[in-house]
Amino acid sequence: MTTTDQRQMELTLPMVPDIEIAAARAAGNLARELGMSSEKVDEMMHAVIEACINAREHGYCADNRIYLRFVGTSQGEGRRIDVWVTDRGKGFDPDDERSRRAAPGTAHKRGRGLQLIEAHMDEVDISTSRDGGTTIHMVKYEKKS
Amino acid sequence: MTEELKVAVERKPNGAVLYTKGYINNVGGEEIANRAYELMDDGVRTLLLNLRDTKIVNSIGISILIEIIEKMMDQGGKIAFCCLTPVIHKTFQIMGLANYAAIFENEETAVKELTL
Repeated sequence: MTTTDQRQMELTLPMVPDIEIAAARAAGNLARELGMSSEKVDEMMHAVIEACINAREHGYCADNRIYLRFVGTSQGEGRRIDVWVTDRGKGFDPDDERSRRAAPGTAHKRGRGLQLIEAHMDEVDISTSRDGGTTIHMVKYEKKS
Repeated sequence: MTEELKVAVERKPNGAVLYTKGYINNVGGEEIANRAYELMDDGVRTLLLNLRDTKIVNSIGISILIEIIEKMMDQGGKIAFCCLTPVIHKTFQIMGLANYAAIFENEETAVKELTL
């Protein structure tokens, strides 16, 4: 019989400069407690940073807050961490974000955060609507089954 | 909460090395750009960025690094990076920096290859 260990954490953070570092460190600590490797932890932390920046850039919300939830699960040799980053802002168009390119000589050097999130995490789901806010749910696995 | 980036410069016979310490975000990226542009104005055309003490970058900071690369390329020069963490190396590849700037594992190799 395999035992399951689960840890959860919720944070509400103000949208102030560099607050994404606090969010990333919290997520990183939880992942390390689960026993995730440093490379996986670093990738997840960079994704959390980009998701928080996305919330700050596209949020424009009255409450000026970012809501984070982390759930770390360890079961046998497998570990996973689920991260939800939510804002109550105006939403954005993920396809428009994905179409941007940051290479030299191109007009759009910014807006590649979503691409980084998708590259660094194993699963990414975005729920966004105009004036309905945005939630980015992302998952990182230590060992895929 | 602020995460200040520190930048140190070492002039070499044929260019310069910039050492970064801390988070490369919009503010950190601008700090690097200011130092890089000073060096370019001073005639430097080969610039190595040693990121050994930088563990986190964000997409805005990278966009500023791309602008620095662009400006150096316009002036016929080149920019390279060394001592990247695995995740920063991966991030640079995703963002396309690796197509426009050489990436070296360590400074010794970079200095030799770039003939700094």
